[in-house]
Amino acid sequence: MDGFLLVLWAVRLLFLGLIYLFLYRVVRALLRDLRAAAREPADRPGRLVILESPTGEPAAGLSYGLDVITSLGRDVNNAIVIDDPFASGDHAVLTYRGQSWYIEDLESTNGSYVNGRRVEGVAPLGFGDELQIGQVRMRLERGMR
Amino acid sequence: MTTPAPTAEAVRLPPLPGAIGPVRPRPRWLEFRLLGLVAIALVVGSLSLGATVNGRLSIYDVQTLAIYIAALFVAHAAQVLAGRRTDQILLPTVAMLGGISLLLMQRLPQDLVTQTFFGREFGLAAVQLIWLVGALIVATTLGIVVRSDRWLRRYKYTWAAVGVGLLLLTFVLGTEINGQRLTLQFGPISGQPSELLKVILVVFLAGYLSENRELLVEQDTRVGPFRLPPLPYLAPMVAMWAIALGIVVVQRDLGAALLFFGVFLAMLYVATARVGLVLIGLVLFLLGSALMAMLFEHIRTRVDIWLDPFADPLGAGFQIVQALHAFARGGLLGMGLGGGLPEIAGRPPIPEVHTDFPLAALGEELGILGVVAILGLYLVVIERGLRIGAAAADDFRSLLAIGLALVIGVQAFIIAAGNLKVLPLTGVTLPFISYGGSSLLANALVIGLLLALSDKGVEPPPPPRVTSRWRRIGRRGAR
Repeated sequence: MDGFLLVLWAVRLLFLGLIYLFLYRVVRALLRDLRAAAREPADRPGRLVILESPTGEPAAGLSYGLDVITSLGRDVNNAIVIDDPFASGDHAVLTYRGQSWYIEDLESTNGSYVNGRRVEGVAPLGFGDELQIGQVRMRLERGMR
Repeated sequence: MTTPAPTAEAVRLPPLPGAIGPVRPRPRWLEFRLLGLVAIALVVGSLSLGATVNGRLSIYDVQTLAIYIAALFVAHAAQVLAGRRTDQILLPTVAMLGGISLLLMQRLPQDLVTQTFFGREFGLAAVQLIWLVGALIVATTLGIVVRSDRWLRRYKYTWAAVGVGLLLLTFVLGTEINGQRLTLQFGPISGQPSELLKVILVVFLAGYLSENRELLVEQDTRVGPFRLPPLPYLAPMVAMWAIALGIVVVQRDLGAALLFFGVFLAMLYVATARVGLVLIGLVLFLLGSALMAMLFEHIRTRVDIWLDPFADPLGAGFQIVQALHAFARGGLLGMGLGGGLPEIAGRPPIPEVHTDFPLAALGEELGILGVVAILGLYLVVIERGLRIGAAAADDFRSLLAIGLALVIGVQAFIIAAGNLKVLPLTGVTLPFISYGGSSLLANALVIGLLLALSDKGVEPPPPPRVTSRWRRIGRRGAR
């Protein structure tokens, strides 16, 4: 009977031990996942994804990692060149200040639109918001991925 | 004669993944390994249960265990075949919780619950097994099929209306069980709408908060030392508060009210990062609670029991006193599965142990080490939810994922704290462990949505508000 009692305790402790082994393996996987996410280039505060671009420059589906100050326009000196007949040479600037993004329209001829609303001067831009310059539609997304 | 190319070509949409894209199997080794570990642990647990109950080293109930483990691997195989890059940790974690639940239900008296399906009568463990398999099916199906969140995002007010409708329906038509008006019965089907309601609440809040975030962060109203957002945007907060109080008054469901309001405050904080709003919510909550305790007898009783259960250990405080004794008997390592106190006169010592006090029963049988491990499993679920939320493409998905994870976390906390006499006892279920179809299926819904949200290759979120930009640009161009 004593032998059986020993087996009983062994099985009991083994069950508890296995639950903890499971937890250990899961936590290790979680840590690996977090480390991988930390190692990835998270220095970009955001991305700009081109949704629609009739002229093909920039091409639809492209994704630009954004710097803290990113200029947009038809002029080749811009960080993101928008070769669209309705875009101005120096059309707009995207800036990341504090914890959020802002768009400043540089008095372009046809204006910049956030979610279909025309930007007057500087306007805040949230992740997931849609930006339109000329006929090019873009969406701001988080930089982490 | 050639027709000119259609000008609609100019507004070609970028290629989006279709509803069902090309399907390519993708191995999920992490999930496979973790599920293997779960299976081994459950077999050992069943051996332990069998050894304690039958007096020889054998698996307690081969058939039930085999069906459950087979269902787990079928769910895994379905996800591999679907080839989506969804989370691989959630399913094994939930499978572990479900397996522990199954072991507990096998060990409790089987006639606590009997249900008849297709002319056969099933006992507690069998019914729980059926619900667990159903929950696995729901979670896996959602994780495979849901590729777009438009149906949640676009109809948030419709969902809110459905939720309020469900609530009103329960207020009016609900059947009263143990003084709580929670259950809605339609012919043979009965369920607890508050379980579904919590998911709907999160969907609505995620939609509302992600759309009105900027306005809630603004502070242009001053009340004494507090700076508040514009008053109209506080309306939903007050409405939430009123709904929570309504649930307490009409349904006498303290747990659901606590859960809804807790999740609401947590999501509000996540969306706005304003401690002030949360403080105001807490003050409102405390005022409401004090008012309720003054007005209603049954709430005062709950609080009195919580403060001193030993004042009436054989009457009002019986449940809590028995639960505390169970935890005490469990000690560090527990009495082993099946080794808890046998039933007294055919009943387990703690009333409603299978729905309200599974943690106390597990505390007795697995000890504090087991309870800590179970709480750790809930923490893993919460961490996954927060992580999925942090990696999400936009605010709606972030808030949705975080809210869904918090629903499970807050609910587990409320009932665990109730069992341990940290909070007054409220009748919510311990997610994935308590017996109950409504609870299991609603929590499976949560896990399924989290799985779907964790896929990085899903349809990109739609633009927030679409107005007629094209017309405006066209006019401008023509001028």
